[in-house]
Amino acid sequence: MKFPLLREPLFQFLVLGAALFGLFHVVGNKKADAPEKIVVSSARIENLADGFARTWRRPPGKEELQGLVDDYIRDEVFYREGRAAGLDRDDVIIRRRVRQKMEFFAEDASVPEPSEAQLAAYLEANPERFKTEERLTFRQVFLSATRRGAAIDRDGEQVSNTLALADKAVDTAAFGDPFLLGEEFRSVSLTELAGIFGDVFAKRMAALELNRWRGPIPSSFGHHFVYISERIQGGTPPLDAIRDTVRSEWSNARRLEAEHKLYGSLRERYEIVVEQLPATSVQAEAR
Amino acid sequence: MRVPSLQQTTFAVLFFSISVAVPAFAAEQAVTTDIGTLDQGTAEKAFPAKPPYSPYAGRNFPTRPFFGDTHLHTSFSMDAGAFGARLGPKDAYRFAKGEEVIASSGQHAKLSRPLDFLVVTDHSDGMGFFPQLMAADPVLMATPQGRKWYDQINSGQGATAAIDIITSFGKGQLPKGFPTPGTAAYRSAWRETIKAAEEANEPGHFTAFIGYEWTSNAGGNNLHRNVIWRDNGAKASLIEPFTTQPPLGSPNPRDLWKWMAMCEEKTGAEILALAHNGNLSNGRMFPIIESFNGKRIDREYAENRVRWEPLYEATQIKGDGETHPFLSPNDEFANFERWDKGNLDLTELKKPEMLEFEYVRSGLRNGLKMEAELGVNPYKFGLVGSTDAHTGLAAVEEDNFFGKTSSSEPSAERATHPFVKTDKAVIMGWEQTASGYAAVWATENTREAIFDAMKRRETYATTGPRMVVRFFGGWDFEAGDANNRMPARIGYTKGVPMGGDLSNAPQGKSPSFLVAALKDPIGANLDRIQVIKGWLGKDGQTQERIYDVAVSGGRKIEADGRSRVPVGNTVDIANATWTNTIGAGEMITVWKDPDFDPALRAFYYLRVIEIPTPRWTAYDAKYFGVTMPKEAPMTTTERAYTSPIWYTP
Repeated sequence: MKFPLLREPLFQFLVLGAALFGLFHVVGNKKADAPEKIVVSSARIENLADGFARTWRRPPGKEELQGLVDDYIRDEVFYREGRAAGLDRDDVIIRRRVRQKMEFFAEDASVPEPSEAQLAAYLEANPERFKTEERLTFRQVFLSATRRGAAIDRDGEQVSNTLALADKAVDTAAFGDPFLLGEEFRSVSLTELAGIFGDVFAKRMAALELNRWRGPIPSSFGHHFVYISERIQGGTPPLDAIRDTVRSEWSNARRLEAEHKLYGSLRERYEIVVEQLPATSVQAEAR
Repeated sequence: MRVPSLQQTTFAVLFFSISVAVPAFAAEQAVTTDIGTLDQGTAEKAFPAKPPYSPYAGRNFPTRPFFGDTHLHTSFSMDAGAFGARLGPKDAYRFAKGEEVIASSGQHAKLSRPLDFLVVTDHSDGMGFFPQLMAADPVLMATPQGRKWYDQINSGQGATAAIDIITSFGKGQLPKGFPTPGTAAYRSAWRETIKAAEEANEPGHFTAFIGYEWTSNAGGNNLHRNVIWRDNGAKASLIEPFTTQPPLGSPNPRDLWKWMAMCEEKTGAEILALAHNGNLSNGRMFPIIESFNGKRIDREYAENRVRWEPLYEATQIKGDGETHPFLSPNDEFANFERWDKGNLDLTELKKPEMLEFEYVRSGLRNGLKMEAELGVNPYKFGLVGSTDAHTGLAAVEEDNFFGKTSSSEPSAERATHPFVKTDKAVIMGWEQTASGYAAVWATENTREAIFDAMKRRETYATTGPRMVVRFFGGWDFEAGDANNRMPARIGYTKGVPMGGDLSNAPQGKSPSFLVAALKDPIGANLDRIQVIKGWLGKDGQTQERIYDVAVSGGRKIEADGRSRVPVGNTVDIANATWTNTIGAGEMITVWKDPDFDPALRAFYYLRVIEIPTPRWTAYDAKYFGVTMPKEAPMTTTERAYTSPIWYTP
């Protein structure tokens, strides 16, 4: 990913010009002083070696470590000179990165280990979030719209009549069309049903009674006749069964709240003045 | 458990490795066949209220595809953050699970349906936050200051503590070695990434993989790879991601593979990598001459590439990568969402001779050639699609497209704003492709099962719609198999699925394929299914050919295996609508290769094409009431590409 602006010749020219100006200024001023020191402390070297070990699962060799130190020095030289030249100022990437770090702080500080009581209270206050879905086990007789075209309604009626007598004879293999995902579905949630057959189908299924052939239920594939043999009711499980999920939802709520609070309390430190925009630069709102 | 029919029992015998289960099934089966009719009482027996404990008992093959995204960036990626992405990995997983979130641009965003899995793959370069910030000495030490903050946090005064920490930090008054509270030691974005995946992962419902992107971009040429863990956080946190910047990292894929081997050996993890956007690599994605040393690739390269990279991301927002009109002049569907102006940052323009080494189809072809030369096929990869969105939002439906970056989230201007612009070329916002997703035929929705399916390449790419696509190859498929009531069972029984291998051709037989597709339940009908065949001729040159194997609307397939009559077009661009009055909802057929030569290496894959539908630009034009530039396409033909099945003599 690149940034289009960075590729603008005028922009490049301006940035380079500003950089050079800044550099001359800094270098020129420094001439008289003793050279600035860059100390690569033993803690820093350990830190570099540690970073290497975390990537490669072994300590660096002598040359590798030297390479890391050299690279660090190079980094430091450019970083200091660039900063001195003001290249970090008003840099959108640096600004956003710093903002992210601040938000990270907030998040870090906001998510302690919840107590049992906190979790229980959260679950009680937000039962909808943790509801498990109803799951169905069923088989189907499928009439394909593609295969049957206009005859699908007539065929559907016939199937409907036959299945109404299914208490007497049910060899569903004798009628219906193959469905690519099969004719038997076990313990499928309503969301999964919607994913396979579409929303309308899933909604109809939710309302059907057990142990009867019912249909036709339309989908965008054709007509379906279904025999639901089991319905596992959804509900809110006890905390013990979903502790991890509740914990992560609780943490997430805390995280958002903390970020909001942190911003609020930091913002309070500022008096904010927003100047009026000249009327010409405000576009009429489209919608 | 429903009493199995004769067919199912046969199947159970075939597939059940647990010997005790077989007699039980056989006994039950005898009961049903003895009773010709079912009265109320027996019907109840036939449909007992309780299913078997394991929903997978009796069918250990994948029964439905899982849809997901293997490539999504969040605010943890430096470039995403710079473009204004505010959503982190946690938000990304929540969105993929179907929750509504507030996008970085402040708009409400929600998927039409949840995804089944997601890999958050932030760039490894520049991923860290606090390692640099907190410097060395990660030893956790209790100090009075630390204890105070800890207590504040635990009493709900996190914000106060955070301000205090920031202030102390700024004054250099942090206690030595004091880590950020609430966690062990210092944190890094990698740990945070792992944590987000661990929390979001719900075996059986939603899979959150741990992963990252190794963004090798030497000279602006895209050699990016995503790395995915099969394992949980305990193993992934033993190591930090490989980066591309020397001296610690490297932009050469060979070094990534070395790191992967080391990672598996030292941490006991299992990982894989998949590359993407060969179209922006300027001839370097599927090389015959390696760009890093100028030499012809060798056996070591081939072995490592095929070992570590079982998949390739064939389609995404930065263009579709199946093939190119220059490479496939006889393919009328080849000119689809092509990004062929230059490399990733448009610092070098495209030359036609680069294309051969950038696209899926030519890569697969050259793989056959290299296999004949080296004994190993370096480019034996399966296919997935993914988004590569930098928004934290895996949203690539045409009518719900949240763009590549946070600055290209829905707005009246996004289509007409340049996406990349250099003195050499420009790519406009409207050229972004609302694509794609990865479909995986896994036995269940868990990290292990989906990862294993990826390893065996039982996957396909879609440009966004969730069509179901089956592809089996064998020697004994017959026309009647297309009417079998259990297509999957017959497929697995008689053949190998997508991603598999055929060899040992029986005397006088040609390979036959069971081919099937089902439209997205809320999407458009299908135009046709095509088999794309590539092979290595006796002269050492590779060839390709397209066969239309199933076409909708009663159109004829000519003797040359093609149906050249277009399906038609129902798109109303102004209103961004279409109707399913043309095309077919489902297609299934058996196809036998009419031009098979058992002496020649070959591959076969499916391309499933939808009828034309409004492109995201049409939805934008309608919603925002704007006029799109003339050159912006307003319709699209969504598609799916399966992993190939290879034939090796």
